[in-house]
Amino acid sequence: MSTKLKIRTSMKNITISITTVLLIIPIVILVGVKLLNDRKYNLISFIIAFLACIPFLARFENRRPQPREILCISVMSALSVAGRLIFVMLPGFKPVTAITAITGIAFGPEAGFLTGALSAIVSNIYYGQGPWTPFQMLSWGILGFIAGVLAKFNLMENKVVLTLYGIFSGILFSLMMDIWFVLSIDGLFTWKRYYIAIIGAIPFTIVYCVSNVVFLLLLSKPIGEKLERIKLKYGLMQD
Amino acid sequence: MIRISALESYHPIVLFVFFASCILFTMFFMHPVYLAISLISSTLLLGKLVGLRKLFKTLLYILPIFILIAISNPIFSHKGVTPLFYINYNPITLESILYGIAMATMIVSIMLWFRCYNLVMTSDKFICLFGNIIPTLALIISITLRLIPKLKDQIKQISNSQRTLGMYIDTGSILERIRSGIRILSILITWALENGIDTADSMKARGYGLKGRTTFSIFKFDKRDGIILGIILLLVSINILGEVYGYSSFYYYPYVKNMDFSVMTITFNLSYFLLLIFPTIIEIKEDLKWRSLISKI
Amino acid sequence: MAIIDIKNLSFSYPAQESKAIDNISLSIEKGEFILICGETGCGKSTLIRQLKPQIAPYGARHGEIYYNNIPLKALDDKKNASEIGYVMQNPDNQIVTDKVWHELAFGLENLAIKTPVIRRRVAEMASFFGIEGWFRKDVQDLSGGQKQLLNLASIMVMNPKVLILDEPTSQLDPIAATDFINTLYKINKELALTIILVEHRLEEVYPIADKVLVLDKGRKLIYDTPEKVGESLRSAKNHNIIYGFPTPIRIYNECNTKDKCPLTIREGSIWLSNNFKSNINKINSYKKPDNSNIVLELKDVWFRYGRELPDVLRGVSLQAYKGEIFSILGGNGSGKTTTLNVISGISSPYRGKVLLHGKKISDYKKKELYHNNIAVLPQNPQTLFVKNKVEKEFDEIIKVMKLNNDAANKKINNIAERLYIKHLFQKHPYDLSGGEQQKVALAKILLLNPKIILFDEPTKGLDGYSKKVLGEIMKELKKSHVTIIMVSHDIEFSAEYSDRCALFFDGNIVSEDDPISFFSGNSFYTTAANRMSRHIFKNAITSKDVIHLCQQS
Repeated sequence: MSTKLKIRTSMKNITISITTVLLIIPIVILVGVKLLNDRKYNLISFIIAFLACIPFLARFENRRPQPREILCISVMSALSVAGRLIFVMLPGFKPVTAITAITGIAFGPEAGFLTGALSAIVSNIYYGQGPWTPFQMLSWGILGFIAGVLAKFNLMENKVVLTLYGIFSGILFSLMMDIWFVLSIDGLFTWKRYYIAIIGAIPFTIVYCVSNVVFLLLLSKPIGEKLERIKLKYGLMQD
Repeated sequence: MIRISALESYHPIVLFVFFASCILFTMFFMHPVYLAISLISSTLLLGKLVGLRKLFKTLLYILPIFILIAISNPIFSHKGVTPLFYINYNPITLESILYGIAMATMIVSIMLWFRCYNLVMTSDKFICLFGNIIPTLALIISITLRLIPKLKDQIKQISNSQRTLGMYIDTGSILERIRSGIRILSILITWALENGIDTADSMKARGYGLKGRTTFSIFKFDKRDGIILGIILLLVSINILGEVYGYSSFYYYPYVKNMDFSVMTITFNLSYFLLLIFPTIIEIKEDLKWRSLISKI
Repeated sequence: MAIIDIKNLSFSYPAQESKAIDNISLSIEKGEFILICGETGCGKSTLIRQLKPQIAPYGARHGEIYYNNIPLKALDDKKNASEIGYVMQNPDNQIVTDKVWHELAFGLENLAIKTPVIRRRVAEMASFFGIEGWFRKDVQDLSGGQKQLLNLASIMVMNPKVLILDEPTSQLDPIAATDFINTLYKINKELALTIILVEHRLEEVYPIADKVLVLDKGRKLIYDTPEKVGESLRSAKNHNIIYGFPTPIRIYNECNTKDKCPLTIREGSIWLSNNFKSNINKINSYKKPDNSNIVLELKDVWFRYGRELPDVLRGVSLQAYKGEIFSILGGNGSGKTTTLNVISGISSPYRGKVLLHGKKISDYKKKELYHNNIAVLPQNPQTLFVKNKVEKEFDEIIKVMKLNNDAANKKINNIAERLYIKHLFQKHPYDLSGGEQQKVALAKILLLNPKIILFDEPTKGLDGYSKKVLGEIMKELKKSHVTIIMVSHDIEFSAEYSDRCALFFDGNIVSEDDPISFFSGNSFYTTAANRMSRHIFKNAITSKDVIHLCQQS
């Protein structure tokens, strides 16, 4: 990416979000464990996943974003949901992670998080909300956020990093969803069951990873160019 | 078949409070009576909303999940003091079997509650609900929901056009299919982004970004909503009270807690049942009302 | 009192030497209906966007715009948002939210109006525009015409004093377009709202405008009443702008009469009677094309989109001959586009045959079918563009067609010259105008070396001159023995350029003939020129025919 435009999310803001997340989660865990007699991990995790999204969403809300910025995030989220339709003939291939990551790369960590979280909410409006909604919001959100942070250090231009990120994101998403799965079995988290869940999910994880890598390698350059053009042409996300 | 349920006419806040308390309570109360109440009420409500045939279809699809969870617990967990038999020298205990069934009941109830939630809380209700708390995000969701069908339509047009260029294949090797798909996605992205700018202009032209934006909703919170919400909140408080005094707590390990059928317990059980069955009652009442209205005509 | 006063306004885009707007001054009175017309790229949109600072393009601006005697720059944002309404071209893109009621309320929400007031005003608007029936619908389920009406209503609800519209009907079918213009007329007459309308389709709107502004290369060419503009255009003969004007004016323009310029069909027909003898002059019928060479044939084709759904095509039979232009006309939802999809092999009929060169279309392999054989120019040319430069669009076709470099360059150059698109090669496809995009798309499919080209609504959104250019290109293609089948709403265009026309109705072809017999046989579904002249001339269906006969008599 040749032109580096100033992106709203500054390093300071990122630090704030990370600390909030790092603070809120342990507090909820502690409170939950104390109050709920060390059970009901499913309920606690459900709440944690939801709370973890709040700092990002709240700051975006307070910032009063411009219409063009709003549209960009909406368009990218809509693409990640509607894009499934294109790949129905390839089971397991869903472009959500890749599109979220690319948004993060082009528009910064905050936009990445929002696109991921929003894609989760909206796709569940179509396919049905469930207790998994906050987990998906958080997983995709964080993936978009990480992609944005890596791009800040100019790492995402590197194909190797991009590939590693693709694999990592597939694994992370799978791990997060496995937590939900394990918890949903008996409300308790045991490592043994988690391992079994992870092993059971290996084929899916592989498909996730492969599809993420393929999407990222093939899409990141063309979409990146398109987003850069949009940014330039319409003076988007500049201070 | 489109059925307009009586529930749908209530204000989103009422519905949301109801479903949120239902789902959270179901996750929370592991007391067998409470679980049974939740399972029965959710099944009844879903049946009322979608009709018997669809209900059976859903139950048929949910049954394996129930069995899977109920069986997997005793296989994995050997806690409990009453071994019934041994598999590979591992005890299968009564407690873990019962806990497995309890867990399965909980998960299945939650799934059923979410089914009902998805039927009743349509996207516009969802947006209205959050419109006041997080207006920008609610608007973004609305815009995204507007875009998705538009993009789906465009996907069809693009694939048709590309097919006639001989550049799109939906059969063939996986690699070819991926390449075709990526091509369509790439065209779609350009189209969506470039056209999105018009939408942004339309927002600006209509004054988006001015100070003090309000949030409009066609849902009116009227007296009826107030009464129902009051009743729901009252029942919710009673149930929280019950939990605080330990009437709804239960344990399965190391041995199953004795059931207690004191008047107080039963009162609290009833209040829980009342809360969860409430929407079903509303639905049935509405049915009866219509039946009498029609007979009068 | 002038509500809008533009004084010596000039504007140029960044990094461009020529001015997009060149020293324009004009004043618009309260309650006037102003029509702005001119060729694509004459600065119409740029000019009216200057009246709405929020969406004005970036660039260097000189001169001043006054709104109610206040410089527009000094007008506060809230007032501007509510008092100057702006409706854009594409009905789909300007809708922001997913529900009709929410869209209506959107502007009022922005103006910080309380819910009870919004409720009342939205109700009022929905009743005025007859939207109640679809008030709770998803916007996705509306037709194009309804969408544009919704856009208008959601501006009107903000109580504007000036309404600006940028080609609002260009994406609509003729019936929806007429409805929309009638609504505008109603608003103007009943609410005394000032309207500034930029438009290509002038047939209906021209007579009802109070004043017409003609722009040419960013300059004000004429600004006067419709009659005066019609008369003064005579002196500017051979100007491309005339191709977009209503038929009566175009005919008047070519004849030396001394009376007032007719604006409507009625006035035109009286004007013809007054000036020309009513002996039956007639245009001879076309000579029928050589019918021996059938390239494509549909035999009793039935089609539906799903088992449970109703039939869209009910036993369609048609033939297309080598080197002809065949138009399929008809209303929305009559099955025209579906027919095109069946011909191109995208949809397969459940009964009947589609024969291409005598062989069933389903027996062709994909490459055989779409390369060197049949090609489609879709309604929306943007669905063909993949690259970020026009030039690169051609490269990928060259690759599939396996042409070597020299042959490819020769071919591209040849096509580019025929379509006049050489100067667009370095641009991004989305930076082109609608007409340019269409030509680039056409160039792309011409590289596939087709024998049959299917056009879906090719004149949609084109200005008069671009239509003429397109028509000439079609004729050129015909000369090289390419068969053109087009589906269109555009009666005038089909009458002028086709060899045969067919009327599609209720899933079938109800009549089919050469344009002269076809149109002079219809009494309603016929061209403006024919309706205007049928009482004195026989078989005159295009304005060219009428002009020809007028000049003879």
